[in-house]
Amino acid sequence: MTEPLVPHAARASLLRRYWPLLALCALISAIVAVGSLGSEQMQVTMTEMLIRLIVVVGIYLFIGNSGILSFGHIGFMCIGAYAAAWATVDPAWKQMMLTGLPDFLQQNQYGFLPAVAGGGLLAGLVALILGTAIMRLSGIAGSIATFAFLAIVNSVYSNWESVTAGTSSIIGVPNVVGPWVAWAFAIGALVLAFAFQVSRWGIMLRASRDDEVAAKSSAIGVVKVRLIAFVVSAVIAGVAGALYGHFLGILTADTFYLGMTFVTLAMLVVGGIGSLTGAVTGVLVVTLVVELLRHLEAGVPIAGSTVHLPQGSQEIGLGIVMALIMVFRPTGLTRSREVPWPFTRRARRRKMEVAPAR
Amino acid sequence: MTDVLHDLPPGVEQPQAAELTAEGIVVRFQGLTAISDVSLECKRHQVFGLIGPNGAGKTTLVNCLTGFQRPTSGRVRLGGEDTTGWTPDRFRKNGVARTFQAGRLFRDMTVAENVEVTALGLGMSRRAAHRHAMAMLAWVGLGDRADTIAGTLPYTDERRVGIARAMVLSPAFVLLDEPAAGMSDAECDDLMHIIAAIPKEFTCGVLLIEHNMSVIMGVCDRIHVLDGGRTIAEGLPAEIRADAVVISAYLGMEG
Ligand SMILES: Nc1ncnc2c1ncn2[C@@H]1O[C@H](COP(=O)(O)OP(=O)(O)O)[C@@H](O)[C@H]1O
Ligand SMILES: [Mg+2]
Repeated sequence: MTEPLVPHAARASLLRRYWPLLALCALISAIVAVGSLGSEQMQVTMTEMLIRLIVVVGIYLFIGNSGILSFGHIGFMCIGAYAAAWATVDPAWKQMMLTGLPDFLQQNQYGFLPAVAGGGLLAGLVALILGTAIMRLSGIAGSIATFAFLAIVNSVYSNWESVTAGTSSIIGVPNVVGPWVAWAFAIGALVLAFAFQVSRWGIMLRASRDDEVAAKSSAIGVVKVRLIAFVVSAVIAGVAGALYGHFLGILTADTFYLGMTFVTLAMLVVGGIGSLTGAVTGVLVVTLVVELLRHLEAGVPIAGSTVHLPQGSQEIGLGIVMALIMVFRPTGLTRSREVPWPFTRRARRRKMEVAPAR
Repeated sequence: MTDVLHDLPPGVEQPQAAELTAEGIVVRFQGLTAISDVSLECKRHQVFGLIGPNGAGKTTLVNCLTGFQRPTSGRVRLGGEDTTGWTPDRFRKNGVARTFQAGRLFRDMTVAENVEVTALGLGMSRRAAHRHAMAMLAWVGLGDRADTIAGTLPYTDERRVGIARAMVLSPAFVLLDEPAAGMSDAECDDLMHIIAAIPKEFTCGVLLIEHNMSVIMGVCDRIHVLDGGRTIAEGLPAEIRADAVVISAYLGMEG
């Protein structure tokens, strides 16, 4: 046996191998470049979209590769957001309102980047502990456990007055996140997620997704690779939380609860849960739909009078879009595939596209 | 030329157990007795055939021999060692690999990845795992299918990928659950050659479950016949062929 008969992705050109990542980064960059010329409102919408993109890519890294639905990632976002805010808020305010914080946080004010790193790390640490306990659960049991985690995080952060200011919110978080900062982190998240999915852990984790029993008898440490993905994805969600706090300027625990969980999972499902391209597509499409509905809710002038949709149309509209996509494209708009390589001869591509929808 | 075929990551060696033995195995599911007091011994360097009509208990017995099913009573020994309480993973580490009747491929991954991932699980580098997978696929005659998504493969090719995936583990014993089901005569013939070559090529004993009598008679060194969870015969292919009880059980099954 000298040479395999058939060329394989591993020996094809680097460009081709990294094509989906390059294409997605280019797309996001182009959108930000164009959007940055737009209105103030456009900048805000775009920043928020990019932060959601980071969360969704983080969630994808775990769900897409492991096949285990997680409802808990917004909890990691919450943890990251608060941790970063503890570092960057004015010490005078912290000493007055957040009397339960340890001294090193209460007495000092840290820079934005160390704060974001701290947010990501704390989320990762919590994921390591939680994951050690629940990564051996498969299917619905694991998902329910992540949901319980979300509820616990929300309840702790809503009620622990002395470190979260409870219902009165943490205010005065420096507003330093604009579209370009969010863009930089979004690119980072895409690179990390793609690197993971082509890594040995990514391949082993997808094997366990497709057939756990066969994976276990193929020498794959299923629990271990799941845990790795869970921690990495929690770090990404934590970083996104830190960015979100420094975008909003104010933190309330309920920001990171069911609403956000629904929107981010909707994005992932709409785009296609099984591919990075799906995660990105979902964020773009859902943002577009939501923005459209929000405009309609606010009212549009038609023929001299203002027509507007009733309050709540946003949620209902998004629900309908999701349901339709699930009916007509159960594997999402992208059919859970990556951006195809555009330069393949047509005959060969047709042959390759026999790939299934799951 | 076949060196790549026998690659193992550093620090991993092929286990050396000389035989895999079932001793008085009984398996009961609630009221139903799926296996009653079955004993058999597969030897390294042999192809051991396990035949019997549907529901005879063949898969259940393989499950016992690989740690997927705990016997109600009786024991399984590997190289003389009592395996009571072993997990499937422990069986795998000690040299027992299997394929599944249902295929159980990683269906959204390519054929190459299906095999490669096992090598990665063992700790091989990406490059070595890929080379090894390609060699193994060529060996089972699927070299040209490496880039196909496993879920789109014809049923009959699935089984060969399963064999390649199991052989990457460098087992001392491999248990194949109905690999020829649904194959044409020509495909059966190819498969027979592959299976017959395993003991020599990989110094690995084979336990082969099969319905197709010509496959069984063609490759097995010894044959064990189950019916209704009981042993009804064991012996050399020629003996089994001549055994009236077996013939009637088979006539019953195929009729
Ligand atoms: N997990 C199980 N629970 C209950 N009954 C089972 C289970 N597995 C197998 N059986 C029963 O045990 C008997 C033997 O099945 P099996 O080993 O699959 O037979 P074979 O592989 O020879 O066709 C059948 O009657 C089957 O219905
Ligand atoms: Mg069976």
